[in-house]
Amino acid sequence: MAFNILDSIPDIDNFKSYTDRYFSKRYILDVDGVKNNDIMIMFHSNRIALLSLAPSHYFFKKNDDYTINFTIGNIDRLSNTVKGKGKKGGQYLTPKSVICKIEYCDGTSYAVPSCMKGTLVEINEELVNNPALLKKLPDSDGFIAIILASIAVSEATKSELLAHDEYLKKLNSQNSDGKKD
Amino acid sequence: MDQTPIINFCKDLGCCYACCLRYLGLKNPKVFENCRKYVLEILENGQPKKNDRDSAEKSEIMKKDENAEEPVNKKMKMNDTCVSCMGLLQEESWPNYFQALDVTRKGYETDTFACGLSAPMTTLLREKAVILRLCNQFTEYDATILTPLKEAWKWTFGVQMAKVIGKSLDSGAVSPLLITLNMEYPDDLQELEILKTLSPSLFELRSKQKKRFTVEFTRRSVEEALTDLSLEALQGVDGWKDGLPAVEKHVKCVSVVSVHTPMYLGGRYIKLSRELPQTPWMVNGVRMMDSSVQEIIFDPIARMNLIEPADVEHRLKFMSAGREDVDVRCLGQGRPFAVEITDPRKQLSPEELKTICKEISKTGKVIVKDLIYVTKVDLTELKKGEETKCKTYEALCIKLSHSEYDHIVNPDSKPKVTENDIERINSYSNTSPSDEARIVLKQKTPVRVLHRRPLLTRQRRIYELIAKELPDHPQLFTLVIKTEAGTYIKEWVHGDLGRTRPHLGEAIKAKVDILALDVASVHLQWPLVNNKN
Repeated sequence: MAFNILDSIPDIDNFKSYTDRYFSKRYILDVDGVKNNDIMIMFHSNRIALLSLAPSHYFFKKNDDYTINFTIGNIDRLSNTVKGKGKKGGQYLTPKSVICKIEYCDGTSYAVPSCMKGTLVEINEELVNNPALLKKLPDSDGFIAIILASIAVSEATKSELLAHDEYLKKLNSQNSDGKKD
Repeated sequence: MDQTPIINFCKDLGCCYACCLRYLGLKNPKVFENCRKYVLEILENGQPKKNDRDSAEKSEIMKKDENAEEPVNKKMKMNDTCVSCMGLLQEESWPNYFQALDVTRKGYETDTFACGLSAPMTTLLREKAVILRLCNQFTEYDATILTPLKEAWKWTFGVQMAKVIGKSLDSGAVSPLLITLNMEYPDDLQELEILKTLSPSLFELRSKQKKRFTVEFTRRSVEEALTDLSLEALQGVDGWKDGLPAVEKHVKCVSVVSVHTPMYLGGRYIKLSRELPQTPWMVNGVRMMDSSVQEIIFDPIARMNLIEPADVEHRLKFMSAGREDVDVRCLGQGRPFAVEITDPRKQLSPEELKTICKEISKTGKVIVKDLIYVTKVDLTELKKGEETKCKTYEALCIKLSHSEYDHIVNPDSKPKVTENDIERINSYSNTSPSDEARIVLKQKTPVRVLHRRPLLTRQRRIYELIAKELPDHPQLFTLVIKTEAGTYIKEWVHGDLGRTRPHLGEAIKAKVDILALDVASVHLQWPLVNNKN
């Protein structure tokens, strides 16, 4: 009996990326009433959530150099630690909690809120040394944080936020509104 | 010391012949086969014969005459019931107990059995009462010589029980089948009530800590209460002043529990499906896949062992040297596994084991080539293997972006796996040449399991890594990879959002992903003895 791995070549034309295989993307637009302060949360099928910026965020239009600062007031997000399966000891997050600040050389900056209730599991430390990742791969290696919420909260947040197609629709209508002005 | 006065003293208290011998401390099973004769012989001769065995044999010969004189099968009157064993060691009680034996129902194939007894707890109190009196009467009496009730039970009842169930009696260390009779005395707890006045502090403590001690009287608490009991204290209690209270009711056999020590089957399974979990995959009580390797293997084993479908879950237990993801096949010689059969009724023949393998393989999803009986000790090998073994995988990978090493003419063209890529992968190393491992990884707990595992960074070693081009599929390549147990291969290939470092893409400075994964070999000798009959 010989079983060849080539027996199982899937249809490469329909190949799904790592992100698309495991995650469903949700969006929240104009957070805190700030135009194009658009956040993306990617929910893994196991309810792990990745926080990132939505492609429509104005961050992606600005080409200046920036750094990402994970010290919020007296909370250092980078010193977050979790213990055990229950991720005990992780920083508690409310939707308004600021995860990091993106700071430009000109002194301007803006805060990235977590947009959901949960426990901070992990900060993408790679962004400290390599902030360009956020611009280059916002929906994969450039994620900002991993958040774990209860099943109930996770489900609720997921249904509250915009799904991918709703997001695209909204963007389209925004764009056409913009043209009318 | 002289045995006669002890026997007479015990008899006067109301002990049966067997209990007389127990208080003499006799430990020869033969003696207990005819207690009455042996006791009478001591009383006649003043001393036993030079050796127990002779006299036991002699008493066998004498048996008929004595029976003629005084038939032992007469219906026992309540006041004849032994105050110590409460009738357990008296033949007159046994017909009722024999009736409770329906072990043939379970159909054990084994020829031997060991015989267990769960006696009413008050027998402990009664034993203590007799011992205290013996010590009081005979200053030189050694309280530790008492032959345990359980032993005497084996030598008396057990021997007769063997005839009733048609199996031979053996010790619990030898026979795999243990048949325990659970005995209850209706007034057991009432009788033990006196311990509360005799040892008040102990039971006050127990009733204060209700959560810790859910029941007042356990074998242990009774033994504890009896440790420091004095004859004076006991005699101060109503009914215990001049002797032991009579046994007013029958001790009943409330249940017979027979259990055979587990048997273990060992083998290796090959998993051919990418839609088959190793064990039933449940999410919030809902099953995600129709079947599992475990269920496919259990099915014929259960049938051959006559295990009802409803009992499979608690009668069979699946153990394996690690596991693979639902979408990963396990090929080559397969993965070592074992099945524990609880309370088995029979040992399957080599032919039956062959049939089981055939039935498993007939599903087309799982193949088991050989199954053999293994020992419990062997299982440690299996579990040890889980941590120490290394595994070889074959992965089908895709190059998703152009390599920074590629000379790109058209950036929009499809990436192709180049000879250069293959060479770079096959020579990639981040360890010193003297190191046994070629690559050492640091893997954070993969996102896909992070919800149920702690967040940790684990160091894992890759020993071999060989990439090959696929001529008909320019974007794909295969990877043979030999790693230490516990390496997450999928994450090594795609990098898990940069959470596994280094990852395969770093070797060729391109984005890569994994399309399919097979376990090619689990490097573990199992089962240990491969008898091929």
